[in-house]
Amino acid sequence: MSTRTPTQTSLSPDARRIWRAARGPVLIGAFIVAAAIVITLLRGGGTDGAVDPDSVTPAGSRAVARLLADRGVEVIRADSLKSVQDTVDGDTTVLVTQPDWLAPDRLAALRDKAGTLVAIGATGEALTALAPAVGQARTDTAKSREPGCDFKAAGSARIGGVVYRAPSRCYDGTLVFDDDVTLLGDATPLTNEQLAEEGNAALAMRVLGQHQRLVWYMPSLSDARAGAGEEKSFYDLVPAGWWFALGQVGIAVLLFAAWRARRLGPIVAEPLPVVVRAAETTEGRARLYRRARATDHAADALRAAALGRLIPSLGLPSDAQPPAVVDSVTARIGRPGAEVHAVLFGPPPNTEQALVQLADALDALVDEVGSH
Amino acid sequence: MAISGQAGLLALLGAVVVGLLVPSWTGIFLVTGAVVVAIAVDLALAGSVRGLSFTRGGDRAVRLGEPASVTLTVHNPGRARVRGVLRDAWPPSAGASDRHAVDVPGRGSRTVTTALLPTRRGDRMAYRVTVRAFGPLGLAARQGSHAVAWTVRVLPPFTSRKHLPSRLDRLRDLDGRLRTLARGQGSEFDSLRTYVAGDDVRSIDWRATARSTDVMIRTWRPERDRHLMIVLDTGRTSAGRVGDIPRLDAAMDAALLLAALASRAGDRVDLIAYDRQVRASVQGASAAELLPALVNGMATLQPALVESDASGIAAQVLRRSRRRSLVVLLTGLDPDPLEQGLLPILHTLTARHVVLLAAVADPRIQEMAKARGDAEAVFDAAAAARASQERAHVAGLLRRRGVYVVDATPDELAPALADKYLELKGEGRL
Repeated sequence: MSTRTPTQTSLSPDARRIWRAARGPVLIGAFIVAAAIVITLLRGGGTDGAVDPDSVTPAGSRAVARLLADRGVEVIRADSLKSVQDTVDGDTTVLVTQPDWLAPDRLAALRDKAGTLVAIGATGEALTALAPAVGQARTDTAKSREPGCDFKAAGSARIGGVVYRAPSRCYDGTLVFDDDVTLLGDATPLTNEQLAEEGNAALAMRVLGQHQRLVWYMPSLSDARAGAGEEKSFYDLVPAGWWFALGQVGIAVLLFAAWRARRLGPIVAEPLPVVVRAAETTEGRARLYRRARATDHAADALRAAALGRLIPSLGLPSDAQPPAVVDSVTARIGRPGAEVHAVLFGPPPNTEQALVQLADALDALVDEVGSH
Repeated sequence: MAISGQAGLLALLGAVVVGLLVPSWTGIFLVTGAVVVAIAVDLALAGSVRGLSFTRGGDRAVRLGEPASVTLTVHNPGRARVRGVLRDAWPPSAGASDRHAVDVPGRGSRTVTTALLPTRRGDRMAYRVTVRAFGPLGLAARQGSHAVAWTVRVLPPFTSRKHLPSRLDRLRDLDGRLRTLARGQGSEFDSLRTYVAGDDVRSIDWRATARSTDVMIRTWRPERDRHLMIVLDTGRTSAGRVGDIPRLDAAMDAALLLAALASRAGDRVDLIAYDRQVRASVQGASAAELLPALVNGMATLQPALVESDASGIAAQVLRRSRRRSLVVLLTGLDPDPLEQGLLPILHTLTARHVVLLAAVADPRIQEMAKARGDAEAVFDAAAAARASQERAHVAGLLRRRGVYVVDATPDELAPALADKYLELKGEGRL
């Protein structure tokens, strides 16, 4: 007995069906990516690039970099400590936008090497390394402040950020000159947005234009750890080639995963039958008796069961009255009537212990009657 | 597609090459590229799975607990050899050993046999056939699935068959012995014979005696060609498990033994399975085809989790059996459903038919009733005693209304029901 199956039995999607199913999501994804690219190009840089000499966003600093370049200052943008160290000499201003990210000893070395070091918002260890005599008081929002010192800039400027405690303070302590270190509370006067306001431009030119060359150093996170310690770890001692081998092992692991993950056809589901034990209601009733300490109900049931076995074996009618049953039992086994009555028709037990004893007494009585 | 473990091993081997010879991104790129190319070549050379066609054969029905085998022939119309693994997937309860190694040459065919050992009654349908065909390098495989329909019907096991020979013996005894018994409603005139001492004097046929020199008596025998209506209740009470099988399965077993016995005794047997609608029905089957028809009808029955509709059952029975019949209700003996459902409408059945109610008792209850020792055990015993008393009470109510009641554990139900049938037949009550 056999049947010829139709030729078209395959359930796996072919290339056309896969394309049909996938083209919608693929087109939507492509559209989103294209839109994102266009928008990024139109906005020209995005929100990133705060205090970046190449950034044209409101928080960027391209305007001040241009101004400085027009005045003959060579502006060099650097984002690694190594390139900074290569370009710095005595006639150089170094602007560090994130001094806190650098190791204190590196900062001190940079200060010693550069003509002037301008640090924006230095606090804590970085501040101690740069200007040990200067302390940090508090932070404040950027607002218009008067110079209040012999700083020869053009009047008021918008500045805020860290407020320093030092012998010579300008702008309420947000600009401090300490030897060849200049501490700026924040970068507000340098931003494209604020440069044209009040005396910001003059302030920026005075602070950054002191030397022929300005190294605009924006530390990256990889510089943050530099100088923390020179001891080599185990991983530094592994030959570089084996890191690539490890990469290849990773690819092998991916292939193994793909091998194990591919199932030979889907799992087959099937409805399962209900599993209810028939005795469940009876067991539930037993638990209810137990919880309610219903020794009286339990005793009733046990006595009724014992009578159900006794009455036929005594040859009595099924509706026999208690005295008749007691008399009959007494006659059969010769036990005192009061004792038999107490077991069969006595008051219900009020403790579990008494119930257990009653059950045993009933069993003994039924057995005794049966054996006579 | 699928890849094999060898592809991973190859890439792992490549790690040594990268580490020792070309430790660079280029090295990784080259080695991985080589692995990918090898996989692609292997994939291209593997036999097509999509083009395969399949033919099935083998068992279509099997008794529960017995093994079945289904063959699957794979035809490869393509030129490339299809070598790899085949999975003939079945639902878990089919108990299939479903994985096969296949090697089908181009334009050839091969047959694999899937062995089934079903664990549950009902229809088991083949799910799908998945083939993974590896390329000559063993690195990658094409994989695809095909729907190749086949159904194996798993029939009730009829374990009570072993009781049939002894009951048939008793049936033959009955046929021989009963000729002298008094007439009853379900007996017919058999023959006249001479009186021997000990015969019932009421059986003397005076007219025949007058014509003859001897005293003649009439003999009777159980009437043949009676009608049996077996009603399986598939409502919620039939779902409860006694031991590890549902009450419904125990009831089916009993029904099968009864039907086998009754059809040998020359009675006609009909069956309906009912909860709130007719789930299965076997009517007017001849003696030869009765058992196959019954097991087929019962095979797919499942307990429905609804309260059975007793008046619906009564209406079905009355509609289907116009003449006086023995109606065997295989249902539960639970007090509430019976008192509210069956008892009020019972008179419509008993007025026209003989009603026999068979119920599956739970040995667990008897076990609990004997428990002693601590308070927990005694409370169990009390609850079990109460349950037995309620059952006995309902059985008493039914008996008072003229219903015969058989209440037995699953193992004993089938023989007990058969014995009750023989007893009724012997007494000419059918």
